[in-house]
Amino acid sequence: MLDKLRHHWQVRSRREFFQYAGSGLAGLALSSMVARDTAQAATRDPLAPRQGHHPAKAKSVIFLFMEGGPSHIDLFDLKPQLTAMDGKPMPESFGRPITAMGTAGNTLMASRRTFRQHGQSGLWCSDWYPHIAQHVDDLTVIRSCWANGLNHVGSVCQMNTGDILAGRPALGAWVTYGLGSANQNLPTFVILTDDKEPLGGPKNWSSGFIPASYQGTLFRTGETPILNTRPVAGSTARQQLSKLDYLKRVNAHFAEDKQEDTELEARIRSFELAYQMQASAPEAVDLTRETEATRRLYGMDEPETESFGRNCLLARRLVERGVRFIELYCGSGSGWDAHNNIAGNHDKWCRVSDKPIAGLLADLKSRGLLDETLVVWGGEFGRTPFNEKGDGRDHNPWGFTMWMAGGGARRGHYVGTTDEIGLRAVERPIHVHDIHASILHLMGLDHLRLTYMHNGRAERPTIVGGTLINEIWS
Amino acid sequence: MHRYRILAPASAALAALLTLTAGLANETSRRDFSAAQKKWWSLQPVSRPAVPAVKHSEWGRTPVGAFIASKLEAKGIAPGAPADRVTLLRRATVDLTGLMPTPEETQAFLNDQSPEAFARVVDRLLESKHYGERWARHWLDLARYADSEGFKSDETRPNVWRYRDYVIRAFNDDKPYNRFIQEQIAGDEMFPGNVDALVATGFNRHFPDEYNARNLMQRRQELLNDVTDTVGSVFMGLTYGCARCHDHKFDPILHKDYYRLQSFFASTHSEDTVHLSPESERATHAARLADWESRTAAIRAEMSKITAGPLKTLYQDEFDKYPPEVQDSITAEPGKRTPFQWQMYYQSRILLKFTEADASKKLKGADAKRYAELKRQLAAFDSLKPGELPIAQTMIETGTPATRTHVLRAGAWDAPLEEVQPGFLSILDPSNASIVPPPAAGKTGRRTALARWLTDPSNPLVARVMANRVWHYHFGRGIAGTPSDFGLMGERPTHPELLDYLASRLVENGWSVKKLHREIMLSAPYQQSSQHRAEAARIDPSNKLLWHYNRRRIEGESLRDSMLQVAGMLNTKMYGPGTFPPLPAGVVTRGGWKSTDDQQEAARRSIYIFVRRNTRYPMFEAFDMPDSHESCSRRNTTVTPTQALELMNSELVMDWSRAFAQRVLNDPGLTTDAQVDRAYRLAFSRPATESERTSARQFLERHTPIMEARLAADAGDAGASKVPLPAVIPAGLSKAQAAAMVDLCHTLFNSNEFLTLN
Repeated sequence: MLDKLRHHWQVRSRREFFQYAGSGLAGLALSSMVARDTAQAATRDPLAPRQGHHPAKAKSVIFLFMEGGPSHIDLFDLKPQLTAMDGKPMPESFGRPITAMGTAGNTLMASRRTFRQHGQSGLWCSDWYPHIAQHVDDLTVIRSCWANGLNHVGSVCQMNTGDILAGRPALGAWVTYGLGSANQNLPTFVILTDDKEPLGGPKNWSSGFIPASYQGTLFRTGETPILNTRPVAGSTARQQLSKLDYLKRVNAHFAEDKQEDTELEARIRSFELAYQMQASAPEAVDLTRETEATRRLYGMDEPETESFGRNCLLARRLVERGVRFIELYCGSGSGWDAHNNIAGNHDKWCRVSDKPIAGLLADLKSRGLLDETLVVWGGEFGRTPFNEKGDGRDHNPWGFTMWMAGGGARRGHYVGTTDEIGLRAVERPIHVHDIHASILHLMGLDHLRLTYMHNGRAERPTIVGGTLINEIWS
Repeated sequence: MHRYRILAPASAALAALLTLTAGLANETSRRDFSAAQKKWWSLQPVSRPAVPAVKHSEWGRTPVGAFIASKLEAKGIAPGAPADRVTLLRRATVDLTGLMPTPEETQAFLNDQSPEAFARVVDRLLESKHYGERWARHWLDLARYADSEGFKSDETRPNVWRYRDYVIRAFNDDKPYNRFIQEQIAGDEMFPGNVDALVATGFNRHFPDEYNARNLMQRRQELLNDVTDTVGSVFMGLTYGCARCHDHKFDPILHKDYYRLQSFFASTHSEDTVHLSPESERATHAARLADWESRTAAIRAEMSKITAGPLKTLYQDEFDKYPPEVQDSITAEPGKRTPFQWQMYYQSRILLKFTEADASKKLKGADAKRYAELKRQLAAFDSLKPGELPIAQTMIETGTPATRTHVLRAGAWDAPLEEVQPGFLSILDPSNASIVPPPAAGKTGRRTALARWLTDPSNPLVARVMANRVWHYHFGRGIAGTPSDFGLMGERPTHPELLDYLASRLVENGWSVKKLHREIMLSAPYQQSSQHRAEAARIDPSNKLLWHYNRRRIEGESLRDSMLQVAGMLNTKMYGPGTFPPLPAGVVTRGGWKSTDDQQEAARRSIYIFVRRNTRYPMFEAFDMPDSHESCSRRNTTVTPTQALELMNSELVMDWSRAFAQRVLNDPGLTTDAQVDRAYRLAFSRPATESERTSARQFLERHTPIMEARLAADAGDAGASKVPLPAVIPAGLSKAQAAAMVDLCHTLFNSNEFLTLN
């Protein structure tokens, strides 16, 4: 019995876990730990689920962040005119920008990729993304995105928080603030990365000036994805439950003349939730229950796609468990940053991401989850039509591509265009704030009404900007 | 702070577009202020209201008590009863020092039956060196202090800790608040040669920075914005940032007022190698260096020659990436550089600063070999090389004439409108500030003028803002609930007369902050119980009138320090470079974290832990330490499972619990009840009650067999047991009993009573 209890952290399911938690421990009166609290307690829980401003089309978001800046003109934004002008200087009429590496005087470089139209919709996709190309009928491709930052760190920060300077809440934190949590024992805003940290680190999933309860949680690789969820010093369940029972008594004594203090009670609840997370977090990341076919679908059977495929599969499992916002970095630490040898760089990162993303879309669809899960693809910016070092491309925040699928997004359809060489957004420019406003809209939140009073201003996710991209859903 | 940088796009055309779409008529600032604005409370001169007469004599004993009681009486609410003595002592001790009272301090206070007993406690605590360590932390929140740059690389700022030490000393020495402001705004100008003042001016050096920037014009503007916003909110309690792109929508802060304030700082730049040692020491140092240089001249000349080629290439590659305006600034003859060009030049230095050592990595073949040989030869002279002199990272004047400041359309760096001169809020004084350049050459005297205006006793904002901040930290809520926003969107003061009374007392008492603490803490409102009363709550549910003390969770830093202290492990060594206690497994940091192996060093007070912007120390992050990207006047107080997990499962808290248990068990001959009593006295400053002793006994009886079973199971394992035990187990006690006591102590550390300032 004891031995079984010692190892109960490796139980296979939540149900099994709760059976253990409730078994053989008579006298330790822990039933309330598993029971959902009263409605009264729920209202003061910052993570209690809440109604949005309007009915939501998407219950969850999976944000696929291609960090470093994928080249839109080599993937989705076909530019015949750029091909025609290959090797020529950029005409002044396009407007010479200040670039990160001072490359605006360099000659134009055509895409070396082969583009083809796919599906019923006939959306263009290059041969760098053969698997995703099979899903273009599910995508709304926004070709006219623009942002403010020149450097990675500011731009990654803006794509996450709306501002190139750190300090504001991340979009996922705003969603959590607006909707609370749809699950009881996992964080509701989760970040998955490669083995490296995204540039700027935790600032990108920070809660900024809104309370820390809303910040994102970085899942670490391995069995215990959340810090401090492994019982300390090999504690057994029995030992922990015995201590928690004693803690309740110590707290009850302190609370005798403080019955009205909701914060004290909230803290007692937080320990109960923490206790549950010790089992639910490892269970969520335990992929041993997934079938071979599923793992193959995500490319987990090949070394190149194994790691990102694992994260994509994890994302689906988290969606199933009610996690609202999952941000999934591919190439974390500026992987896609192809200042030189874009052929080699993008060849690698496209292969890393293509099959897992296609697998994710297919898997979500077959499980009926795609309709309520908004999948967003993009980087912090795109890349320039002029070359850098002969075979690379510089940063381009003036015009780049993102796409959305599922969660209420239209299927097989374009929004906006860039100029003839793909340098700047021209038709229907879409700022990062517009993207954020639209994601929130699909989640049932109005970016203008989602406010938090901070230093004299009703702050909102889109700061002073943000226009809905109605073409996405209508 | 209203982050308006999104409307600071890289193009003036876009700014124009945004201006139009925002419907803002930006070309001209509003000229007339409404009657309501002219009468706005925080802009009126500070009055000295008469102390009201009140019925409750105990509350009427001090002016502070009378002001509070008078409002309570008007609403028919009885003031709160006094807190019990132990609660009061814990409250005062945590409040002033961030630590718990020791059992001895508690006993001494309980034994002192004189009416002055609590006043003596307050005096003792104010004299404690821990007072500065506690209150400096509040100021560091405001100053957005960090030991690293932030952004991508988050590089270390190796010398900013001197500013942290300066603030600790300033509080401990009760440096007058007006002088404290002057040193931070204009220390270099007003007190030339004063080391403290030079370090203090680093206040304006704490902006997050990204050296890897190409558009240095934009970057310069962003840094100036940070300084403007911070100075406006910290000293004046105004949200100046809202006026960066247009007239403030609610407060009488004109668009141009933003730039009038900014222009005080337009001729400054950050300087990371300001020497602090006296002239004589520097002369000695220079002489030693000259000696080393002359002895090594030939070697170094050859090294320079070998590396000259690659060095030039490295430099040129970076240089070429800058836009033309920056390149011109770099190549301009030093004598002909304008201050603005100097600022561009200074900002570009870090990316262009290649050393011969950098260049040597590009060498090949014979050159590489020769360079290595020369390096060896040079190393032979290392003993003659003088050590590093102490330096500060601070902000200094760039030079005269001052760089021009323009109102910027929609805040865009490249969309200048009319030029402005330094000035204060137009509603208070529409004229330009009168500026007298100091005698020293190359100084504009602008910041001196600002510092003098801020510290003029007739300034309506500055003393009010500070008095309110001190009140805020004592009570968990300011008299005005938004300590950095005294504008329309902020909360109005609940007791404006009291606030004015305290502000005028602050000035009267020579800006002494310690006297302000004393006056507040010796009043009945501070000493009242936190007890909830239904009849009072019906009238004033959010306790704005202060009919009870605000119970609240202690801050993460106090929590850590108190656990270390109760465990008997706290190292009270003060000052010096930031310390790096080990991070939990799995926490990675960009910029690095050189964990110390020295357990003593790891057990120092929290304020000395290195503040890396992109990696807050996990325990502090869980407990709402602000992220230091912008000034924070009011911390969040959240309750999260992350906090519970930290307390339940972090190795640190378990280690401290072992040491705590050791202290409990070390007293020979104690019965179980007496041990529990000792644990309670250490953690809660009181003995356990009879029913608590019973609960503890029941826990130990139940828990000991659980630990016994664990120890037995572990005995079969190949590895050593992981069961946490005190280092020494007293005779007569089984391992399992000791382990159970560790878990009892751990539980007390996890309890609401330990975490709560009551």
